[in-house]
Amino acid sequence: MLAALFVAACGTTTTAPAGATPAAPAALRGEITFLIGEDPNGFQAFKDLVTAFSKVQPGVKVTLNNVPDGGEFLKRLAADFAAKTAPDIFEINYRQFGQFAIKGALEPVDDYLARSKVVKTGDFYAAALEAFKFKGKQYCIPQNLSSLEVYYNKKLFAAANVPLPKNGWTWNDFLSAARALTKDTNGDGKPDQYGAGIAASTLRLAPFIWAHGGELVDDANKPTKLMIDSGPALEAFKWFVELQTKEHVVPSKADEATESSQSRFQHGTLAMFFQSRVVTPDLRQTIKDFDWDVAPLPGDKTTVSILHSDGYCLTSASKNKDAAWAFTEFANGSEGQKSIVTSGRTVPSLKSVAESPAFLNPAALPANGKVYLDMAPNIRRVPIMTTWLDIEDILNKEIKRAFYGDATVEEAAQAAIKGTADSFKQNLTDLGAP
Amino acid sequence: MTVVLAPMRNRASYRLQIHLLLVPYGLALGLLVFAPMLYTLALSFTEYDIFSPPRWIALGNFTRLLSDSLFWTALGNSLWFALGTVLLRVAGALLLALALNRDGRAIEFARAVIYLPTIMPEVAYALVWLLILNPGYGPLNLALGAVGLPQFPWLQTEFTARLSLVVMSGFELGEGFVLLLAALQTIPHELFEASALDGASRAQTFRRVIWPLLVPSLLLLAFRDTALSFYDSFAPSVITTETGPYYATFFLPNYIFNKSFGLFQYGYGSAMTVCLYLVGLLLIALQYGALKRGQASDEL
Repeated sequence: MLAALFVAACGTTTTAPAGATPAAPAALRGEITFLIGEDPNGFQAFKDLVTAFSKVQPGVKVTLNNVPDGGEFLKRLAADFAAKTAPDIFEINYRQFGQFAIKGALEPVDDYLARSKVVKTGDFYAAALEAFKFKGKQYCIPQNLSSLEVYYNKKLFAAANVPLPKNGWTWNDFLSAARALTKDTNGDGKPDQYGAGIAASTLRLAPFIWAHGGELVDDANKPTKLMIDSGPALEAFKWFVELQTKEHVVPSKADEATESSQSRFQHGTLAMFFQSRVVTPDLRQTIKDFDWDVAPLPGDKTTVSILHSDGYCLTSASKNKDAAWAFTEFANGSEGQKSIVTSGRTVPSLKSVAESPAFLNPAALPANGKVYLDMAPNIRRVPIMTTWLDIEDILNKEIKRAFYGDATVEEAAQAAIKGTADSFKQNLTDLGAP
Repeated sequence: MTVVLAPMRNRASYRLQIHLLLVPYGLALGLLVFAPMLYTLALSFTEYDIFSPPRWIALGNFTRLLSDSLFWTALGNSLWFALGTVLLRVAGALLLALALNRDGRAIEFARAVIYLPTIMPEVAYALVWLLILNPGYGPLNLALGAVGLPQFPWLQTEFTARLSLVVMSGFELGEGFVLLLAALQTIPHELFEASALDGASRAQTFRRVIWPLLVPSLLLLAFRDTALSFYDSFAPSVITTETGPYYATFFLPNYIFNKSFGLFQYGYGSAMTVCLYLVGLLLIALQYGALKRGQASDEL
C-alpha cells in the first residue's frame, strides 16, 4: 500500500506487485514496458489494469510509463526508439501509428490474433480493428471505439423550451436549437450563454463534410490531395464556419480564450458540446447541478461520426513478444476491457463488453451511452497515412483561421491544399507508389 | 582580473588549480553541448528517421529548406522574437541594476522580486501569463478597462500575440540583472569620486565611466540571451498560443520539433537546427561589432 502511494505520488511509473493467485494457463516470465500518454483518470485505469494482469501472469513484471502531453509523448517514444530501448508495447491513436508501421517499428499481430484463445477478430467492432490495418496487416489492437457526439445540458433545453436532441435529428434541428439556446442574459449585447461549443479542427469538421456527402481527401486508400475546395465538402466547411461567423451560436475567438467551451459546458453556460467519450470522466466529476446526456451528431444527407480510437502496439524490437502479447491480449479481453471501462473514458472495442452493464451502466451518466454503440456502423475515419499528423496540423490552422473570421472559407481551403501537398507526396513515396 | 595577490612561485599551481576546477564543466559542456552540436551538424547532411541508419544526401536538406515557405515564416518569427527579447532583457536588466545598486531592505526585496520569474518552471510561468492575458477575466484587461483604456485579446491577434510572448520572456531577466549588478559593484569607488571631483554630471558619469566598464558584461549577456531566445520561445508558444493565431507564434523550434519528432525527419530537423545556430552566430557577431564600435568611439 505504501509502495502504491509512493508510486502514485511520483506519477510516472508503476510496477505490478507479484500476484497471489497464479491461475495462468501458460506461465510466462520476464519484464515488459508499456508506454502510455494519459491524463490522471486514464493513468489510474491503466494502473488498475496492470494490477489485474499481474494476478493472471505473476511471472511477468509490467512497467507502466506515463508521459501525459502529446508532444512529450512522441519525444519520449522517438528517444526510446533511437536509444534502442523502445517499450515493448505503447498506446497510440490510429492517426499516428502509420508512420511507425512504415518504418518496420511495429510487430504485425495477425498471427498472434489467429492463435489467441482470449480474443478473436470477430469480437471487436470492425471499424476499430480496421483502423489499425496498414498495407494489409493488422498492427495494433484497438482498446476503444469512441466517436464524436453531442453532450447536452438538459436543464438549459428545458428552460428554453427546446426539444431535446434525439436520434435522427438534422443540421436544421441542431441550428434552431443552438440559436434558441444562445442568450444575452445581462443585456450587454454579448451572449452569456452559447448554444454550442465545438473545436475548430479537422477532427470536428470531417464528419460534417461526410454527412453532407463530401470527402476530405480524393481517395481514401491512396490519397493524393485534400478535397475541401469545392462541392459538398466546401458547402459543409462553410456551414461549419458560419456557426461562428454568421450565426454566432458558438463562442468567438476571444470568448473561447476567456473560457473554453468545455469549461462553459461544465459551468452550465453552454448547451451543446461536441466531444468524444474521453470527456465523460471530467463531466461526471465536475457537473453537480444539472442533468446532462449525450446525443448522436445531427445528420444531413447521412448521419455519420468520426472514429476516435487508441491501440496497443507491439514493437518489433521487443525482446519478450510473448509476454507483450499476453498483456495486450489480456488488456483487450473481456476482463481487461471491463477494468478499463470503469474509468468511464472509453467505449470498449469489444462488442460483448460494450453491450454489457459494465459500459451501459444505468447508474452512471450519460444515460444514453448506447449512442456510441448505435453509431458504430456509421463511423468513418481519416485516411491512414505516414504524414497524416502534418496534414492535420496544417488543416487545423486553416480551419481555425476561417472559423474565427480571419480568412474566407475558400482562402483557407486553398491554403490547406497548397500547404499539405508535400505531405501527400511524401506519403506516396513512403508507400512506394509510382 | 587581479583577484589574487599570491607570491610568484605559487602562481603556476594556482592556475593549475583553476584549470582543474574547470575540467568537470568542460567535460559536461563537451558532452552535453558540443557533441550534440557536432552530431546535429553531421545529421543535417543526411536523411535519418532513427529506425534505419542515416543516409548521406549532401546538401539535400538545405536546398529543400530554400523552397519551404513554412521554414521562412518560422525563421522570421524567431528573429522577431530574438531581437525583441534581447533588447528588452538587456535594457531591462541594465536599468534595474542601475536603479537597485544601493543598500536597504526594500532594495533587497525588490531584487528578489526581479529574480523570481527567472526561477519559475517554464510551464508554470506560461500558465500564469495565460491567466494574466485572459481577454475576459485577465487582470491586465481588467486594469486597462478600469482606467478607461482599450482592452485587447492579447494572445488572439497576430501582432499582440507575438508581442505578448516577447514581454513574457522579457521579464525573465533575473540572471542578467544579477550579472550587471555584480559588474556595477566591481567598479572601483575611486572612479566615481574622481569623476565627481571633475564636475561630471550623472549622465556624463554613466557614459564615460560606467558604460565602458559594463560593455563586456553587456556583450556576454546579449550573446547569451540571443542564443537562449531561440530555445525560450518553444514552451510559451505551445502553451499560451498553440503557435497561433495562424502562424504568428510558430517559431523555428516548433517546426524543428514537428518535423523531427512528429514525422521522423531528423535530417531535415537537424538542417534547420544548423540554420538556427548560424543565425544565432550572425546575430552575435553583429552585436559584437556594434558594441565594439560604440566603445571605440567612446574612447576617442
